[in-house]
Amino acid sequence: MIEMTIDGLDVQVEEGSSILDVAQFYGIPVPTLCHHDGLTDYGACRLCIVEIGKGDNTKLVSSCTYPAELGLFVRTNSKRVVEARKVLVELLLAMCPSSKTIQDLAAAMEVTKVRFKVEQGDCVLCGLCVRMCAEQMDAKAIGFVNRGKDRKITTPFDIKSDVCRTCGACIYICPACELRCQGPGPPGDVCGSCANVLPVCLEDEDDKMCFLGTCGWCYKELGRKKNKEKE
Amino acid sequence: MKKIKTPAELKKIIASFKVKKDSKPCIVVATGTCGIARGADKVVTALKKELKQHGLASKIDIKITGCHGFCEIEPHLTVLPAEIFYVSLQLADVKEIVSKTVMKKKTIERLLYTNPETNRKVIKEEDIPFYRKQTRNILANNALIDPQNIEDYFGINGYSSLSKVLTAMTEEEVIEKVKQSGLRGRGGAGFPTGFKWSFCRKAKGNTKYIVCNADEGDPGAYMDRGLLEGNPHRILEGMIIGAYAIGANEGFVYIRDEYPIAVKTIKNAIKQARQYGLLDKNILGSNFDFDIKIVRGAGAFVCGEETALIASIEGKKGEPRQRPPFPAQKGLWKKPTNINNVETWANIPLIISKGAKWYSKIGTEKSKGTKIFSLVGKINNTGLVEVPMGLTLKDMIYGIGGGIPDGKSFKGVQTGGPSGGCLPKELLDTPIDYERLKEAGSIIGSGGMVIMDEDTCMVDVARYFLEFLQDESCGKCLSCREGIKRMAEIVTDITKGQGKEGDIELLEELAHVVKDTSMCGLGQTAANPVLSTIKYFRDEYETHIRDRKCPAGVCRDLYISPCQNACPMGMNVPGYISLIGEGRFQEALSLALDTNPFPSICGRVCDHQCQSKCRRNQIDESVAIRTLKRVIGDYEENHIEYPEIKIPKEKMPFKVAIIGAGPAGLSCAYFLARLGYEPTVFEALPVAGGMLAVAIPEYRLPKHILQREIDNIKKLGVEIKLNTRVGKDITFSQLWSQGYEAFFVAVGMYGDRRLGIPGENLENVFQAVDLLRDINLDKPIASPVGKKVVVIGGGNSAVDAARTMLRMGSSKVTLIYRRTRREMPAYEEEIEAAEYEGVEIQYLTTPEKIFGEQGKVKSIECIKMKQGEFDKEGRRRPVPIKNSNFFLDVDIVIPAIGEFSDVTELFTGLDVETNADGTIKCDKNGRASIPGVFSGGDVASGPSTVIKAVAAGEHATVAIDQYLTKDRTRKYPWREHKKVDTFFDPEAEPVKYSMQKPKTLSAYDRKGNFKEVEMCYTKSRAMKEAKRCLRCDLEIELQEKMEQEKRAKEAA
Repeated sequence: MIEMTIDGLDVQVEEGSSILDVAQFYGIPVPTLCHHDGLTDYGACRLCIVEIGKGDNTKLVSSCTYPAELGLFVRTNSKRVVEARKVLVELLLAMCPSSKTIQDLAAAMEVTKVRFKVEQGDCVLCGLCVRMCAEQMDAKAIGFVNRGKDRKITTPFDIKSDVCRTCGACIYICPACELRCQGPGPPGDVCGSCANVLPVCLEDEDDKMCFLGTCGWCYKELGRKKNKEKE
Repeated sequence: MKKIKTPAELKKIIASFKVKKDSKPCIVVATGTCGIARGADKVVTALKKELKQHGLASKIDIKITGCHGFCEIEPHLTVLPAEIFYVSLQLADVKEIVSKTVMKKKTIERLLYTNPETNRKVIKEEDIPFYRKQTRNILANNALIDPQNIEDYFGINGYSSLSKVLTAMTEEEVIEKVKQSGLRGRGGAGFPTGFKWSFCRKAKGNTKYIVCNADEGDPGAYMDRGLLEGNPHRILEGMIIGAYAIGANEGFVYIRDEYPIAVKTIKNAIKQARQYGLLDKNILGSNFDFDIKIVRGAGAFVCGEETALIASIEGKKGEPRQRPPFPAQKGLWKKPTNINNVETWANIPLIISKGAKWYSKIGTEKSKGTKIFSLVGKINNTGLVEVPMGLTLKDMIYGIGGGIPDGKSFKGVQTGGPSGGCLPKELLDTPIDYERLKEAGSIIGSGGMVIMDEDTCMVDVARYFLEFLQDESCGKCLSCREGIKRMAEIVTDITKGQGKEGDIELLEELAHVVKDTSMCGLGQTAANPVLSTIKYFRDEYETHIRDRKCPAGVCRDLYISPCQNACPMGMNVPGYISLIGEGRFQEALSLALDTNPFPSICGRVCDHQCQSKCRRNQIDESVAIRTLKRVIGDYEENHIEYPEIKIPKEKMPFKVAIIGAGPAGLSCAYFLARLGYEPTVFEALPVAGGMLAVAIPEYRLPKHILQREIDNIKKLGVEIKLNTRVGKDITFSQLWSQGYEAFFVAVGMYGDRRLGIPGENLENVFQAVDLLRDINLDKPIASPVGKKVVVIGGGNSAVDAARTMLRMGSSKVTLIYRRTRREMPAYEEEIEAAEYEGVEIQYLTTPEKIFGEQGKVKSIECIKMKQGEFDKEGRRRPVPIKNSNFFLDVDIVIPAIGEFSDVTELFTGLDVETNADGTIKCDKNGRASIPGVFSGGDVASGPSTVIKAVAAGEHATVAIDQYLTKDRTRKYPWREHKKVDTFFDPEAEPVKYSMQKPKTLSAYDRKGNFKEVEMCYTKSRAMKEAKRCLRCDLEIELQEKMEQEKRAKEAA
């Protein structure tokens, strides 16, 4: 067992576990996107960053890939961490604004606007599908191609893969190409408010197909109605 | 070839290959990649052929070496044993070298290197100042050895360090020695090498690896290539020693495939080392086995990062992973691995042979040894430079680098490649070491050093590096991939004129997040170019965003033509020039008057920034813009009528007071009048024109020309009250009570700076500005007829005073200036004219004391100066030479060392903030600290030029109008670009012919009078000159047109 400190808590953890494991074990919420319990950690989305070290000598690391070390001093919700996470979510939102998972993450961090040019992408390159395919399906049909801004996930040489069994696990695990948040706002509108409010759309408008739970539009509408009532 | 089995055998071999200086004659040619690019390989071929023809092929060796460092002068060759060094060779020179130098032992002067400081020829390579100022512990050997030949390396004691290690040192002793030397990784991060080795040595496991990181990918950096191509065995020797110390039996050289010559050289070196038994099994009979493999990188920049490099060697995608575990614990194939940069390995044999103590004496406290930098960009001496750590940036740039070419000024230096930052002029005192550069916001990195001059746009630099990085990021981390992409997006928008308020703040926020949250070194440093340019050049970003202007004239969407962009007033230069070219002088004058009330004056005394940016310069010479402006300004002579300036019939209901009738005040009046104001100008002197009237002598600017342009302004309804000194004759509060609501203060600088030497108060010591004013106002002055005059200073007023005195009959005029001609601030043409007229200029001289007799000046004691250290401007500080004092007999002394401003009397009872030098504090648009008070010209900016004063007047006009009307949407007619309908054929190739120089009076004709020296162009000459304009203003328009036509064609 290793002794370390996380959010002021002196804890004992098993050797070989990551900081994220420790946090989750002790019930400390750390947002994640590219992490999945059944897959190896990759450290691509950076959302699970935590601040390690003391005094002036601190740095941010991805908790999913950083091993728990003896005497490590971890803060999962320092100002630096929270501010950085917000910008990261903003970057994610700008890539894939229709993903409910990302909208939910944004809502949880109170990110309500995107200052970058919004794209209507359907992939955030988190690599969950690549690992799913390789580790759980043992197929290795897809992988990362190119680097930098041209990076994408595809089959070798962009042609139909011989080893793909069309099992659909990649689609199952994808946080971006899932069913879209279908609020009445324009596509890409960041509602950023899928907080735990009641679904009001179904009550007011019959033809809203809001089977994804609450969406930000609902929240906004709710707010508007309340304001009207006040007036 | 026999394998060397014992250290004793190696010793014998080394002795047999020792370079003998007086041995066979030899010609050394450097053919690194840089040399070949400049034709060094062709020189070798020609040389071989030539020697063969003369039957000398067997008598004279040709030695082919790697790059020596001074890439600027390549191709070059050295003729041994005489050590004659020829530079910048042409193929045709080879014949002469063989026939004259090789056969007849004669030196060819023409091909020798010229020392730019002394203008003397240098014979030997080592005497070239570029080399002399360096400490070339590692690089110097490049000139001695043929990299393809291991025997040459033996000849310089090669592999003797290895022998020493294997016979006399334990593994721990080697590591201890490296630790003591203080050597730190040369790849960029600067981790202490000895500690890195000991971690790897202590790591558990029998199989260990070492790696040489030769994946050099920074734009503008090629230190590693220089070593790989020039001295590969030294790197191998370092690696074998390292392997021995760490306990590794296998090593890799990870080299980028874009270095084909380096790959070939290192491959060959490994083969030769194996043949001699210096690699492979049982090296030198020590039972130590070690071998090296080459892995060629496929060109990903990120593979220089150690974990990505490991993945790449393993055959995986080159992507970094989280550390820990560090490669020293789990590296290649999960085995302990030690990775060092090429240069780090090359330092090892030196530490072993010369000792850790010797090594640690070089450099600073925390950064030891020498470091190789590649000095590139806008610098005179491009090349590889090896210096001790701790040398200041200015010594590097001005001392070794020889300064900025074409007399341009230094703007910034980018160190450490895309991960580094840009440092400004203010930080040139920074010593180059790991810590200090990091504090400044940059890094040493691998050692790239890109120098940028005034023509570089820092926003564009940030854009360039971001674009490089967004392609080269591996793309794994969201923060790095998306963050850089978004930063690039924002910066690109700014360079296109689509920047928004808040963009800079957003960039900063994003940059910090990218820096903080990325996993590997690439992402963590990727924000440096943005952060450092914002930190040091924020105003440039702001100008791009707010004014939609690119001051350096790089961002093409933000300017119409380079000349127009360079002009402080943004005059439509190509417009009026092209109109002159068609003989339409009348229209040209209207166009010029649109943005400048003083075309005649600027046609004579402007410092013509436009001309220095003229693109015609790249073909032959720039267009004579200033002289052409004079042609239309001298309309009377050219039978042009003064065009009617449109002024609104309805007058503005505000009274504006302008204080000072200099160029700034008058142009403010001119532009205000065009908006419908009727401003009043208050002038203390009995004439209007300010410095134009009282400081510039008649022979440069005739009085009637000035008067005419002032009269034209008066015609617009501007009242000028002469002999009225505000603060004395009338106060601000009186003006206020008279109904004036806005005040433009442009009183200029009128106090002379004192010399601060004894004897300054003697009779016949006159301040230059006072003297010139008295002469211009026809006041009586002490007659200089037949007298000896000394003028002190190097500015335009010093030269003006000297030339004036000569015209008034002085027997001898001496101008003394404490620096050299190169640093003299006066205009070049003025200095030339002064010399031509007979002014004697003594450079590097400064006055010490003025002696008098009966209260009158008798002689002046001067001291000679020598050039000392560089200052941040790249000028060398003058330092007095002891006991070099001398005396000059003199009757009149005229100090002209600058002016200062004093506005306390003017602002009596008004609390207007001033700067430390007495100038008025105000923003870019002339707003002073009190609302309603505006300022411009010299009193706000310090001594400046006429055109800048005009621009200040114009900016203030807009600010005053906005202040009075509270209307920020008003369009100012002169600020809109006006197209001209002149003909231009974009297909026509420009015919080369150089600038038409205006005629000038002969020295004889100038004597004893104040006739204007420069004469106006004739009509035909003016038209011919104007036709030289390349019409850069049409570039975008024509491009669009051509694209449209192309699209139309494709559609059809």
